[in-house]
Amino acid sequence: MIRKIALKEFKENLREGRFTVSVVIVSVLLIMGVWLSYNYLTSVQKQHAEAKENARNVWESQDEKNPHSAAHYGTYAFKPKYPLSLIDPGVDKFSGISIFLEAHKRNEAQYMAASDQTGLARFGDLTPDFIMLFIIPLLIILTGYNAFTREIEQGTLKLLKSQGISSWKLALAKWAGIFLPVLIITTVLFVIASILLMNIKDFGELNFGVLSLMFLVYLVYYAIFINITLMISAVSKQSGISLVSLLAIWIIACLAMPKASSNLADTVYPYPSRQAFAADIDKDKKAGLDGHNPWSQAAKDFERETLEKYGVDSLSQLHFNFDGYRMQRGEEHEAQVYFKHYAELKNTFRNQSRIYQASAVASPFLPVRFLSMALARTDYSAHWDFADAAENYRLSLIDTLNMNFAINSSYGDWAYKADRSLWKNVPDFEYDSPSLGDIIDRNWTNVLILGLWFLASFAGLKILTQRYEKEIKLHQSI
Amino acid sequence: MFQRNLLLQADISQDWKNWINMLQATNLTKKYGNFTALNALNLTVNEGDIFCLLGANGAGKSTTINLFLNFIDPSEGKAAINGLDVTKKAKETKRLISYIPENLMLYPNLTGLENLDFFCGIGGKNHTREELEGLLKESGLQPDFINKRVNSYSKGMRQKVGIALARARDAKALLLDEPTSGLDPKASNEFSELLLEMKEKGVATLMAMHDLFRAKDTGTHIGIMREGMLIHQVAADSISLPELEKLYLEAMKPIKAAS
Repeated sequence: MIRKIALKEFKENLREGRFTVSVVIVSVLLIMGVWLSYNYLTSVQKQHAEAKENARNVWESQDEKNPHSAAHYGTYAFKPKYPLSLIDPGVDKFSGISIFLEAHKRNEAQYMAASDQTGLARFGDLTPDFIMLFIIPLLIILTGYNAFTREIEQGTLKLLKSQGISSWKLALAKWAGIFLPVLIITTVLFVIASILLMNIKDFGELNFGVLSLMFLVYLVYYAIFINITLMISAVSKQSGISLVSLLAIWIIACLAMPKASSNLADTVYPYPSRQAFAADIDKDKKAGLDGHNPWSQAAKDFERETLEKYGVDSLSQLHFNFDGYRMQRGEEHEAQVYFKHYAELKNTFRNQSRIYQASAVASPFLPVRFLSMALARTDYSAHWDFADAAENYRLSLIDTLNMNFAINSSYGDWAYKADRSLWKNVPDFEYDSPSLGDIIDRNWTNVLILGLWFLASFAGLKILTQRYEKEIKLHQSI
Repeated sequence: MFQRNLLLQADISQDWKNWINMLQATNLTKKYGNFTALNALNLTVNEGDIFCLLGANGAGKSTTINLFLNFIDPSEGKAAINGLDVTKKAKETKRLISYIPENLMLYPNLTGLENLDFFCGIGGKNHTREELEGLLKESGLQPDFINKRVNSYSKGMRQKVGIALARARDAKALLLDEPTSGLDPKASNEFSELLLEMKEKGVATLMAMHDLFRAKDTGTHIGIMREGMLIHQVAADSISLPELEKLYLEAMKPIKAAS
């Protein structure tokens, strides 16, 4: 019975111009979105590969020089692009694509794509995630806002109810009738994306487990919107009221709540300004050992400790170059300063995330937005993860160079030059993104909230269709 | 208060014990606050009977039909189909009936055939395409329209789809709420003929209507309702059309004049 009604709903929708036009528009937008994303990604990926190769060549082709000079010369860490960023580019556009690695300084990622765009960029790009997060829920609303009301308005309800069907079965059938076209559209999108991604070279391995999970997350999101749409349609007396109510819900869930939660998070847990952040770091750095300043009190204290530790009277008696050793110790102090301040930033980020998660109780859009970006590895967590990996690599690189200087020269020997083999022997920056387990572990709250949204909206639909049963009885005239 | 002409079922149908009481209202009452829409209705429609309910608007005819359909809950009493209480055995009783309202509305974007297939299917009666086409033709729908969308159908054509649905569902009882209202005489006559065909097959019909001529011509029993009460109940063949008209007009007079 449910299958019969669902197919009837689907057939009726197909024959309605409103539905057909909406589906065609959404399909065209999706195909355009995938195609534009595909072109952008292949182009960016090519540029990344070239830039990475060039940076490595520049690093390896350095002349013989003091290793600490090479540490100042620096190199780059490039953030890899991941296959699923084709579907959800997340915050990649705003977070930068490479970090310059140098001695004494932790730099932030640079070359943000958003900085190359015009002001129109703030209205969003035509990407698959935009269509899936904003437009398909609208399609659901346009398809289902009159699912129940039209039965009353066109007079078919009496005949339908005289066949002995319960309102709950009717609701389930209507649910399936709306879900079917949405399932087809979403499946086609993911299949096209998979085919394209499998044919892109040097773009990381496409993980079908993650892809399937992302597919599931979106289907749950649509199921929630279908539940809400049918609930409103079941309690509305007229189709027009149902449509207006649902559009208001869409605006609140997809537009207003994300903005409001963002503003709230910034107000309650503000990030420090860039200037204040840099000034605080500078202040803490100056409070400790500066590797380049042998005359500071901190340097003198370190010198005394080293002499005591190795049981010698002068620095020239050490079996290593104290200048290199001091450079490394200064680097370690600076690393601790950066670690402390970035930990505070991360803490603010975590606090803000908690506000977003709390806001997700009022909008199913938010948990899906975060889960989608997380699975595509294009969220801020992924960016932090990359930035931390780049920082670890920087510390390891600088340590290698400073210790080479310390071990292979003697105190005061600033003329020491390492040969080119050292640059080649330093491993290139390699970064493994967080595993699926890590992503789920970080996002379990979003998974939980999304699951609760689904269960609560489904229960709401069940309760309100019982009310619809009573509504039918109220509609009968004497 | 009213002059009642309550004939016992035994008077109406001499061999009533051989028939099954397909539709039965026992002390059936519906109240909306202080307003009584239906007042202690006792009514029986046997297999092969066509019971026509006459009365002015608001007399309680549609309320009776809606109570048998379980669209509304009774305040008191019971409506039973084939002995089953419609409120307790809603699903089972709905499988026994077919309902045609005054203006049968079908899904406008589906064809007549698709509508019939859909309503048969959800009622648990599946038929082949050929069988459904045959049912629609037998019910008088022009073959050209069988595969056309219902939004191009006249009211009479939609009512014929309703009759086809009753046949397809193999309904034991028909609940008709002013089904010929607004139909032209030819369509109305065709509809009556279809009802008589179903009567011969033993289908019990309860039909609310305003047309005295059609009630006399088609019905086996006629009831006249007023202000929620069944005040007259007669066998159609026991009364002439002028007598029926006189009885009806008498019943419609203001209460003071009638008493």
